[in-house]
Amino acid sequence: MTTKKNNRRNFLKLSGATALSIPFVSRAWASTVELNMLAWYGHGEPDIVSEFEAANNVKFVPKYYAGGDNMLALIAQSPPGTYDIILSDAEFVQQLNMAGYIEDLEPSDYPFDDMLHEDFTKFPGHWANGKLHSVMVRGGHLGVSYNKTVISEEEAQSYSCFWKPEVKGKVGHFDWHLPNLGMMSLYKGNGSGLWDLDNKKWQAVQDVTMSLRSQVGGYFDYGGTFNSLKNGEMLAMCGIGDWITGVLEKDGAPVGSVIPKEGGIQWTESYCIGKGTDKVDIIKKFINYMLSPVGQVKSAQMAAYPGFCITKAGRAALIEADPKEAKRSHQMEGMPNDPIALINDGRIHYRDIPKQQTLEDWNDFWSEYKNA
Amino acid sequence: MKPTKNNLNIYSLTFRLPIIIWQLIFFVGPVLFMVAMSFFLVKNYRMTEAFEFINWTKMFSKNYFWDSYWFTIIIAGTSTLLTMLIAFPASFTLAFKVSDNIRRWAIFMLIIPFFTSYLVRTFSWYVILAEKGVINALFSYLDLGPFKMLNTHIGTLVGYMTLTLPLVIILQTVTMANIDRNLIEAAYNLGCKPKSIIQRVIIPLSKTGFIIAAVFCFILSFGDFVAPFYLGGSQEPTLPILILDTTKSGQQWPRAAVVAIVMMITLFSIAFIGIMTAYSKSFKK
Amino acid sequence: MTKEKYLNFILITYLIFIFVFIFTPIAFSVIFSFNSQRFPTIPLGNFSLEWYIKIFNDPGVWQAAINSVIVSLVTCILATFLGFCTAYSDYRYRFKFKGLYLALVLLPPTIPLIILALAMLAWLSKIGMSGQLWSIICAHSVLTAPFAMAIIRLRLNQIDPDLESAAWNLGGSEWATMRYVILPYCKPAIISSLCLTAAVSFDEFAISWFVSGLNKTVPVIILEIVQGNIDPQVNAIGTFVFFTSMTLVITAQIFFLTWQMKGKNK
Repeated sequence: MTTKKNNRRNFLKLSGATALSIPFVSRAWASTVELNMLAWYGHGEPDIVSEFEAANNVKFVPKYYAGGDNMLALIAQSPPGTYDIILSDAEFVQQLNMAGYIEDLEPSDYPFDDMLHEDFTKFPGHWANGKLHSVMVRGGHLGVSYNKTVISEEEAQSYSCFWKPEVKGKVGHFDWHLPNLGMMSLYKGNGSGLWDLDNKKWQAVQDVTMSLRSQVGGYFDYGGTFNSLKNGEMLAMCGIGDWITGVLEKDGAPVGSVIPKEGGIQWTESYCIGKGTDKVDIIKKFINYMLSPVGQVKSAQMAAYPGFCITKAGRAALIEADPKEAKRSHQMEGMPNDPIALINDGRIHYRDIPKQQTLEDWNDFWSEYKNA
Repeated sequence: MKPTKNNLNIYSLTFRLPIIIWQLIFFVGPVLFMVAMSFFLVKNYRMTEAFEFINWTKMFSKNYFWDSYWFTIIIAGTSTLLTMLIAFPASFTLAFKVSDNIRRWAIFMLIIPFFTSYLVRTFSWYVILAEKGVINALFSYLDLGPFKMLNTHIGTLVGYMTLTLPLVIILQTVTMANIDRNLIEAAYNLGCKPKSIIQRVIIPLSKTGFIIAAVFCFILSFGDFVAPFYLGGSQEPTLPILILDTTKSGQQWPRAAVVAIVMMITLFSIAFIGIMTAYSKSFKK
Repeated sequence: MTKEKYLNFILITYLIFIFVFIFTPIAFSVIFSFNSQRFPTIPLGNFSLEWYIKIFNDPGVWQAAINSVIVSLVTCILATFLGFCTAYSDYRYRFKFKGLYLALVLLPPTIPLIILALAMLAWLSKIGMSGQLWSIICAHSVLTAPFAMAIIRLRLNQIDPDLESAAWNLGGSEWATMRYVILPYCKPAIISSLCLTAAVSFDEFAISWFVSGLNKTVPVIILEIVQGNIDPQVNAIGTFVFFTSMTLVITAQIFFLTWQMKGKNK
């Protein structure tokens, strides 16, 4: 009687397990290698990876996050070894490293010789104690994003345009403390020391942020940011840059982003290899692919949000393949807002985590600000 | 009541035990763990087990926590009141003024929204409520507006109602439809005016059902983050948004647990008071 | 008389207005899924099937759809089983702590989803179960069992109280009575419960998003697109899910109604 029951139970268990694993089994039969990717939205989409997938018989399985803190939360909550390849913002790479989530990398495996700016070869945050942990693939700039019908390009040259009475109630925030408070810090004139604030400066940043509160119309994630700018609910947006307005511009909306005189912030994305993965070779191949001219053009044209090319060959390939986009994003030698020129002029500051406060402190203040 | 012979044989236990075991593992377990979690610490983005009160003291000392708390109660309460009032004429019509068949079809149609994605429905409101949207376009023909509806409390309330209105109408209709028609007829025959009938017969008899509808409406609104976030622009943020904010950043699950526990205690209290009132025998003749 | 007719007119108009409020977002969503513009505004763009083509070509969406179906199917069976056992226990027996027993089953809907989701994720991570479809299934069955229990309990209320004892008196064991009397009687309620719990599970996103990790269901995909990209794909998926669920529900209703008709004709 009991053996019958056991057999039945075992059979049920087995068939249940089989049923649940069918999708995975069928993929194994096709011997496609699956790569689990942790990234900002869009990096695992067909427009970026389908060519590589087809040529190398791999399949990317993406999990998307919104914000470096979110990424850390996600990876901490998953069993170790869940993710094979991780796209990280530069300032969070060391957190990943310290928590033991990523592998050390071999610099000779990657093309560091063709970078457009020498900072990119030894980008801060990607290296620690002489060891490489992450390879830069793209970047973008954050500044003043505005609706061209209400704010002139001249006015947009300073963050003070957010306080314009004409946009009262129509200034939006991307709902992440880091870029927003960074911009407020730049507005207070902290320049390259924008992340390194002593108590007095930190209080000043908090005060100036609070003074913006009456202008604010809402706090948005991706979807909300796109929608609000597109349908004119918001006429200015703090905490973003061309990565959002570029998409909208291509869609015909009268919006744009500029780097104001107080300076802009650069976000930098790089790929890390997850600790404990057994697919190191194919991941290396993919990272090299993204740094090749073909990959760089795809990155610049990414449907989710554009970034600029970081290699010389990549930029040249973009100018040839898509001159319209190259012009729109100022990625041509000699153009006044050439991202590389801006960096050279010292008007761009790489995004980083706050030095004298914790991320928690900034996040706490952000919650306070929202509730004010 | 049914005869309850053989209270503890294999037969009865087969039916009684499964849910107990299941709920203990997958419901009581998580909830108790969450209570325990509120005492844990987070070091370097990793949660470590501990027994510290710091999460509680920190959370309770933050002004934004209490601001959010009161705001959530007020907006959920307002939404509940509005929804109950808005639903009442509709449910009244369905319960008393249409045929049984139409009522059944109406209820059937009201179940349809439950099968559409709440998220997707919320997004449709963007286009309708935007300043350049449909409603303002209609208003402009009358030379009114444009009115700002998105990213305000109005947006949040519209969102809450999208979630709760169908349910409230169904509950109110079913409650009123189940009132013994003889009682209403008797009151009418005794010379009661329609308005009095509503006041002194229908409403008291529907008390239980209405209170349950209101409690559910409040619980749903209180715990929803989609409406205040997407349609209200986080102006101001409610407790569910606070939970998400706390977990997204710095992995502060213990703090999020604190907020969650406070929310649960509040909801249990309100549900308890509601049910006590609903089933109290205070029917005045 | 005219006063009453006038009142009725107002009430019916009001009712229609309420229905318009409830159905407008759904209608708009369906319309936008066929609209060519990426960010929908008024006036509309051209008719386009591009978003449907996009989701049909996306293996991620297909995988999520399969996951959603698997999760809903297993959840509805599990939840209905649990709900039936509980409803029967409540109907048939009096026992100590019955109030506590019922509270245990009926509490989950009173807790906001986001809190349940948080608690379940933390707990399932701790016992090593997070990130799999089984995690979502277990969570969803906790959430939907109360509904199953309520539906079946209502049906049991309608049963003739002497039916079961009659069966026993005629020599049937408790098990046989269950099999040949109670279960067939509850069939329509069981089917309704299966459909309802499947539908609730299919659209549930808060718990799925927290708990699922890499094994996503359709609502999680919707949430990701909404948070990462904002695209009328969302409307296409929503419309598709809507028509699928509707088909399920209508089929169940027809089944239920014909069963009732048969019952009446007996």
